[in-house]
Amino acid sequence: MTNPIEITRILFEDFQPQTIHLFYAFGYSAIAIFIYGTYTQIRKYRRGKDDGSWGELLHRFWDMAKTMGSHRTLVRRDKKAGRAHGLIFFGFVLLFIGTSTITLEYDILEPLFGIKFWYGNFYLWFSLVLDIAGFGLILGLIYMMYRRKWLNLPKLSYARLDRQPGDPDFDRPQYRREDWAFLWSFILIGITGFVLEATRLVWLSGRPSVWDYRMWSPIGAALAHLMQGLGMTSEGASAFRPSLWWFHGLLSLTFIALIPRTKIKHIFTAAASLMFKDPLAGRRLPRVPDDQKNAGYKAITDLTWKNLLHLDACTKCGRCQEACPANAVGAPLSPRDVILSLREFANNALNKKELPKEAELDIHGKDVGQVFMETLWSCRTCLACVEICPVAVEHVPIIVQMRRHLVEQGEMEPLLEKTLQTIHKSGNSFGESKRKRAAWAKDLSFEIKDARLDPVDILWFVGDYASFDPRNQKVTQAFAKLMNAAGVDFGLLFEGEMNAGNDVRRVGEEGLYEYLATSNIQSLSDCDFNSIVTTDPHSYNTIRNEYPDFGGSYEIQHYSTVVKKLLEDGKLKLKKKLDYRVTFHDPCHLGRFNKGYDAPRDIIKMLGCDLVDMGRNRDNSFCCGAGGGRIWIPDPVGTVKPSQNRMNEAGTIEGLQVFVVSCPKDLTMFEDALKTSGYEGKFIVRELIELIDECMDYPEEILEKEVVAEIE
Amino acid sequence: MKILVAVKQVAALDEDFEIRADKKDVDEEFLLFDLNEWDDFSLEEAMRIKEESPDTEIEVVVVSIGPDRVDESLRKCLAKGADRAIRVWDDAVEGSDTVAIGKMLAEVVKKEAPDMVFAGVQSSDQSHASTGIAMAAYLGLPHAAVVADLKYSPGANKATIRRELEGGILQEVEIACPAVLTIQLGINKPRYASLRGIKQAAAKPIEAWSLGDIGMSASDVGEGSAMSRVRRMYVPEKGRAQMIEGTIAQQAARIIEIIKEFKGA
Repeated sequence: MTNPIEITRILFEDFQPQTIHLFYAFGYSAIAIFIYGTYTQIRKYRRGKDDGSWGELLHRFWDMAKTMGSHRTLVRRDKKAGRAHGLIFFGFVLLFIGTSTITLEYDILEPLFGIKFWYGNFYLWFSLVLDIAGFGLILGLIYMMYRRKWLNLPKLSYARLDRQPGDPDFDRPQYRREDWAFLWSFILIGITGFVLEATRLVWLSGRPSVWDYRMWSPIGAALAHLMQGLGMTSEGASAFRPSLWWFHGLLSLTFIALIPRTKIKHIFTAAASLMFKDPLAGRRLPRVPDDQKNAGYKAITDLTWKNLLHLDACTKCGRCQEACPANAVGAPLSPRDVILSLREFANNALNKKELPKEAELDIHGKDVGQVFMETLWSCRTCLACVEICPVAVEHVPIIVQMRRHLVEQGEMEPLLEKTLQTIHKSGNSFGESKRKRAAWAKDLSFEIKDARLDPVDILWFVGDYASFDPRNQKVTQAFAKLMNAAGVDFGLLFEGEMNAGNDVRRVGEEGLYEYLATSNIQSLSDCDFNSIVTTDPHSYNTIRNEYPDFGGSYEIQHYSTVVKKLLEDGKLKLKKKLDYRVTFHDPCHLGRFNKGYDAPRDIIKMLGCDLVDMGRNRDNSFCCGAGGGRIWIPDPVGTVKPSQNRMNEAGTIEGLQVFVVSCPKDLTMFEDALKTSGYEGKFIVRELIELIDECMDYPEEILEKEVVAEIE
Repeated sequence: MKILVAVKQVAALDEDFEIRADKKDVDEEFLLFDLNEWDDFSLEEAMRIKEESPDTEIEVVVVSIGPDRVDESLRKCLAKGADRAIRVWDDAVEGSDTVAIGKMLAEVVKKEAPDMVFAGVQSSDQSHASTGIAMAAYLGLPHAAVVADLKYSPGANKATIRRELEGGILQEVEIACPAVLTIQLGINKPRYASLRGIKQAAAKPIEAWSLGDIGMSASDVGEGSAMSRVRRMYVPEKGRAQMIEGTIAQQAARIIEIIKEFKGA
């Protein structure tokens, strides 16, 4: 029986003291380079503006640990890559901890306190675990190499939609080189580690404290047997080992030294990015401080430290680009490239000792690293990118901040400019008279209460499209009848309501948004009600998430939750069931923004419909193209619009009869797309309210009055 | 170097408007006020000259004749970059014609002594197209109307302009400065005044001048001294137009029927 103290791994055996000193010199240099690199990175972040995300650090840390531990964000929509990353991640973490324990004993505990623990059973388990970890690491890396080389995934291509071939930053071959250098150096560290282990075993094959326990490092042992089979002797191994040892050691140290300067830094930046994640990112946009002269981001130094950190967290995985509706239709936008452009810019401008002159900090323009105006205006602020980013990069808030600057400069589509002026003048995007806001209610057989005069249980915030768009007015009337039939005590603001401002804010016209929000909050504060309901997910989002920042905290529900409850409570009774085969389009602002995925689906099922989801559903729902103010900006002629892209997706559902939406803008966008993409006559687009309406059993007089109204 | 821009706050009709009880104007309750569209262009032209010569100190002054509500439009001008704003008002001015307004503007110009004066070609609510030219006449300055292009170096004693004539013809004119130019739509691309900009411009003062400040009295202005006055404002009866459907014979028969109806009536 071997004395357990002898069962351990040799360190520096047969090394000359000078050689050991040399190794330590390299080690300390690597650490010094690492620390200096880290310092310059932190100095870069500190050159950004303040951000209120400090606080609740423990809570944030725990959330981050859970996300990283479960790899939840990495396996989403790309299981294989996520799992391969898991192998690499856990392999690396274990190997790192393992190596650290050696340092802990050899350099700290033993010399200072004479404590030793790295022997015997501990060592054997350590050896086994690290062997498995190293094996997983190599497997993961092999898959990643295979994926990069042979899968030809469009999301891994660095060719850009917002640059032309020949532009210096068109397809960025340096990124490709870095990816491969990273993969190769990492896998070489792993492979040489095992070969080194095997060589050590062969070399010390005569020493029972080593050789008898070789199976605790199974990979190393297998390799050792292979080497012996190939004729390697103990002496041969002894001679071969030093050069391999140095190669492995120096490669590892170089790897560590380069962490802050290469993509390897995502080890830290991605973790930190996850830790400072804002759960309301994009749902609640940042306010412009009252004392700030200019709104938005003009210079790289206008970004907050958190923004700058997010830029560095990006690992170019391309999931955001894959999810982006603008990118899907060939618009010059990839959320990833916005982030990468700004990152290059920040690295060029903010890594220097002295900050460059202000003129050299402008992030808008046509130069390398600058972001095009067309790119920023292509964004639909649908949050598909923010949702899927595995490392919590928040693209949309940055894009909107940059748009705020463009708006102040007046650099926008003339039509959009006109719409903003119209909204300012008339309070709605249709340029209609305020007095006509509730004109749709005149055709009803009952009076709707004026919430400004009488207390109501539920205040209905109607929103622009539902109020003024003739097609949507029918839906609005149907919803009024539903609420009336269910005996809900509800009322409107009538001309006291203005555009809720959700899209105005996402355009970047923060001043106009503040005006609209404060005006609406003023109107609401003069009314007596318990909660708000709306059929408009855009209004829903801003009232729910953003009005609180302006002093208006309300309980607000999207109609789907209200109607679901009315149906469940039996206050609304269905006269008949429908047997349509339907699909449901999750509106961005209801689904992804506010997680309202289930209520509409539950209602559809209650109606008896056969619901078949499209491939892209729920959190991966595909924007209709109208978000972020794009409903006021015409799409270029001759291109496929996002709404048409969506129609094509729906068209693949066998026997589809109804494409169900639950957002006024969706109804407008998709009814149009239905015609332009050639599905007219194949299926129809309907608001969920219209389907419910079909199943209603209204008393005769309501129906009669309405028929009369329609004839008029 | 100073450029003076005369601007007007115009009224636009809301839907379902009503005529005032005295039948002389639309009830103000149904009007939406905003800066005259032409003035966006004339102010932009002044701002363009200012910004293209960063080395010359150029002051852009906007002037308007009107009641308190006009301040909102002047603030928009300040938000777009005008350096100063002057508003002249007295209740007696109500009912003045364009000639009297032109005279008042001329008096402001005399006090301010600018190197260049711009006005819009016309206002979108009244469409007289005479205020700017009336002002020029009172000043005795060279003037040109419907200017669609301007080449002018700040402080120069002449400018080259292109005027828009009927039928898409442009007339190139050299004009001695200071001059009064009425600016046509499309001469430039007016900038957007963001709401934040307008709010921040609230800090810039708007000078409120009285009739006395420009050496005029109540008897010089108002309905009494106007050379024209509104007798009645009304909505003309709608004409009728109808597409006659059917075969040629049916159409002819229907026309004959209509003629007979008219003759019989």
